[in-house]
Amino acid sequence: MGITRRKLLKNTAAIGAAAGLAGCSNQIRDLLGNSSHAPIRPLSGRIGAVMRVIDRTTFGPTPELPETVSAMGIETFVHQQLNAALPMDDALKLALARLDIFCIDSAELRDLPEGEIVNQLKQAALLRAVFDPNQLQERMVDFWSNHFNIYARKRYEAWRKPTDDVEVIRKHALGSFPNLLYASAKSPAMLEYLDNDSNKAGTANENYARELMELHTLGVDGGYTQRDVQEVARCFTGWTIENRFLHPRGTFRFDESVHDDQEKTVLGQRIPPGGGISDGERVLEILAFHPSTARHIAKKLCTYFLGESDNRMVENVSQTYLQTHGDIKSILKTVLLSKALMESPPIVKRPFDFVASALRAVDANSDCGRAVQKHLDDMGQSIFEWPMPDGFPVDAASWSGSLLARWNFASELAFNRIPGTNLNLTQLKQLSTLPLVKTMRQITLGLREGGIPTNVSEEMFLALCLSSPEFQWR
Amino acid sequence: MNWCDEYAMISRRALFGTVSCAVLGTKALSQIVLNKKGTEHTLVVVFLRGGMDGLSAVAPFGEDAYYQSRPTLALRKNDLHNLDGFFGLHPALSKLIPSFAEGRVAIVHAAGSQDSSHSHFEAMNAMERGVATAEESTGNGWLARYLNATRTDHDSALRAVAFSPVMPDSLRGGTNCVAIESLSEYRLRNEQMKPHLAAMYANGSDLMTRSGRESLRVLQMLERSRMDAYRPENGAVYPDSDFAQALKQVAFLVKSDFGLEIACLERGGWDTHVAQGTTSGWLASQLSDLGDSLAAFDRDIARIRRRVTVVVMTEFGRRAYENSGLGTDHGSASLMFVIGEGLHGGKVHGEWPGLSEEKLSGPGDLKVTTDYRAVLRTILQVRMRSQAAAAKVFPTAPPLSFQLFNGRSTNP
Repeated sequence: MGITRRKLLKNTAAIGAAAGLAGCSNQIRDLLGNSSHAPIRPLSGRIGAVMRVIDRTTFGPTPELPETVSAMGIETFVHQQLNAALPMDDALKLALARLDIFCIDSAELRDLPEGEIVNQLKQAALLRAVFDPNQLQERMVDFWSNHFNIYARKRYEAWRKPTDDVEVIRKHALGSFPNLLYASAKSPAMLEYLDNDSNKAGTANENYARELMELHTLGVDGGYTQRDVQEVARCFTGWTIENRFLHPRGTFRFDESVHDDQEKTVLGQRIPPGGGISDGERVLEILAFHPSTARHIAKKLCTYFLGESDNRMVENVSQTYLQTHGDIKSILKTVLLSKALMESPPIVKRPFDFVASALRAVDANSDCGRAVQKHLDDMGQSIFEWPMPDGFPVDAASWSGSLLARWNFASELAFNRIPGTNLNLTQLKQLSTLPLVKTMRQITLGLREGGIPTNVSEEMFLALCLSSPEFQWR
Repeated sequence: MNWCDEYAMISRRALFGTVSCAVLGTKALSQIVLNKKGTEHTLVVVFLRGGMDGLSAVAPFGEDAYYQSRPTLALRKNDLHNLDGFFGLHPALSKLIPSFAEGRVAIVHAAGSQDSSHSHFEAMNAMERGVATAEESTGNGWLARYLNATRTDHDSALRAVAFSPVMPDSLRGGTNCVAIESLSEYRLRNEQMKPHLAAMYANGSDLMTRSGRESLRVLQMLERSRMDAYRPENGAVYPDSDFAQALKQVAFLVKSDFGLEIACLERGGWDTHVAQGTTSGWLASQLSDLGDSLAAFDRDIARIRRRVTVVVMTEFGRRAYENSGLGTDHGSASLMFVIGEGLHGGKVHGEWPGLSEEKLSGPGDLKVTTDYRAVLRTILQVRMRSQAAAAKVFPTAPPLSFQLFNGRSTNP
């Protein structure tokens, strides 16, 4: 007959939900217990599709978002998110405007202590992940911030990263990958992080060249050799940071006097002598349009949005990349409006995702200041402080040790014990036409009945929802 | 030359990172605590991240080439503690001298992996997975393989603990892990949640649910014996560093009979490209914290020394030549410390490859003459009493060319 297990599960879940039969949920749970992935499976039907799209496109549903998306339709919602033109509300604008890193000139930022700048970077990222209506843009900011990871506590990075955040990551988050790559290559934050600022003819520093190919573009199996690393490093000699008297300090500068102007060969392509700054630019162009780069980016995006990346999907996405010359919106459309999105397995939330989704789920008001950030640190994801160029890991195993810290955060949030963060229960209950228990179930568990006890205080109920195994996945 | 200062910074992070990770079995607490059938031995694995300069830690003062390649950075013979007429211990490691003299410290010089990438990530990745080079496809960590190969039905809930912000690759793919910020802070802030959490996490075989169950078990275990009340023995005084404090927690766990088999610690700050110093300076302060911490640990656990072995390793050593920044660049071989009882200790082991130009490899690296896996495999075989597991963990490691342990517990 060919009734697959997936179909069986879908049907059972649908019946269970429709009829509200508590008995069915145990059966489902038993079946799901065998899954090595997650305690939940995507629900069928319209609401299942809506929740899935919200979970993957955003940092998680707010109490009212499912109804909003239901009303406008999934496709409209995805296009709205791709356009990223929704206005921020005044509270968010105000909160961001209070942050020095976005209103002081980067040269003047030097007057602020490193720790303060790093805190503000974290605060801004959290505020926007939680409150910015352009959620997909924020998810892509998270994605690219890790793809082009910069450790904000290396040397002067704290003072350089805010510009990188605005001018490189945010500017191109939903733009063109080649432009993002070009901007990153000339970003003082990146030049310093991967030591290209000290890459000089004769003693070429391979650090940037290696990570550029291994992490930013081709991927470790992308077909380059150690020889290519050395040649690329030579091409980037002299790409440095302005530090001369009466010059705009801290900006990009090409220092011709330390550039290796001999001939080079990169991935089989000859780079003639005398090219100057165009050597590096030519390398970036070769890399940006290389099929291995298309595949590498496709694979990472599929992992990020779909969890598992099956080869056919990666192939589709990398075709879109090549056809559109790396247009990020087109690539994302291929991923987000695919059938694969609906069928893909659950993905574990990294601590940053978890914190943002929890604050959204209970419609908390938060300054996302040190108190919230401390919780995030306890879970092991101090954003902007991942020292290695590969960015925070995405696999579930890396984060399986963070549960106790997640439970503690869930409880402090639900019982209103986080300074600077406020949960208004009365208001929360008015946000949705459904009763609180149903709203929270929809948000945290799909439509599955049971699991969370309801004979507890409302605060405890919320704490348990956010602590549940189900809420750790999207 | 300033190849990768990000590493000097990683150190900072690793320094304040005191997150642990507990790998647990699946048995009820009563069985766990009563269980005494395990190996009853704890292996403490210390990973020095960034590439520790073995040529400064244990300096070959007997070789002229050492002074020729490092005119500024070489340690003078008079400043070193003469170990055997050829090698001298860096003065910052002087606290280890008594343990060395009593035969509890074995040094394996010119040890390392076959990774020639000079990349921290590749080299660490190879070592934590326990393979020859990063290209080998083995996916899981070497300690994970050990845990998987020795799993029984009555394992302790606390078989392995690691101290790092995210799970180290060496434990990746093993039994599930629980992060512990610090043992005394490992507690549920809202006790009333506990029965509900226990119910919510009771079933389910997915990764998060399993590790939730394990977190609850560890919480329960730690309630019986609190770290806060722990007092080191024999007047041991641990430094304030996070590394020392992590070691102190290991001592507590071992003495509490939780059935701890593996403790993973790391310490950063070894990527000394610039101004590494000699008898004082950056490297000396790093070594001093390392030596003082290990010496305090050795003193604290005197009563139970036969149950603990410490191994100290690093992803690679430094280039033989000093650079123009009075630092050293990425090289190949470094060294390993093995600390414990029953060792053929008080000795510098390993074939010395020499530092004269024709004896160096690659861009001027000390050659690796002892494969780090041979040392680890021998420790698993002899101390963790696990012949079969050792073979599973390191199936292709070459044999050790010298005797690391005394008496009947000989090398394979």
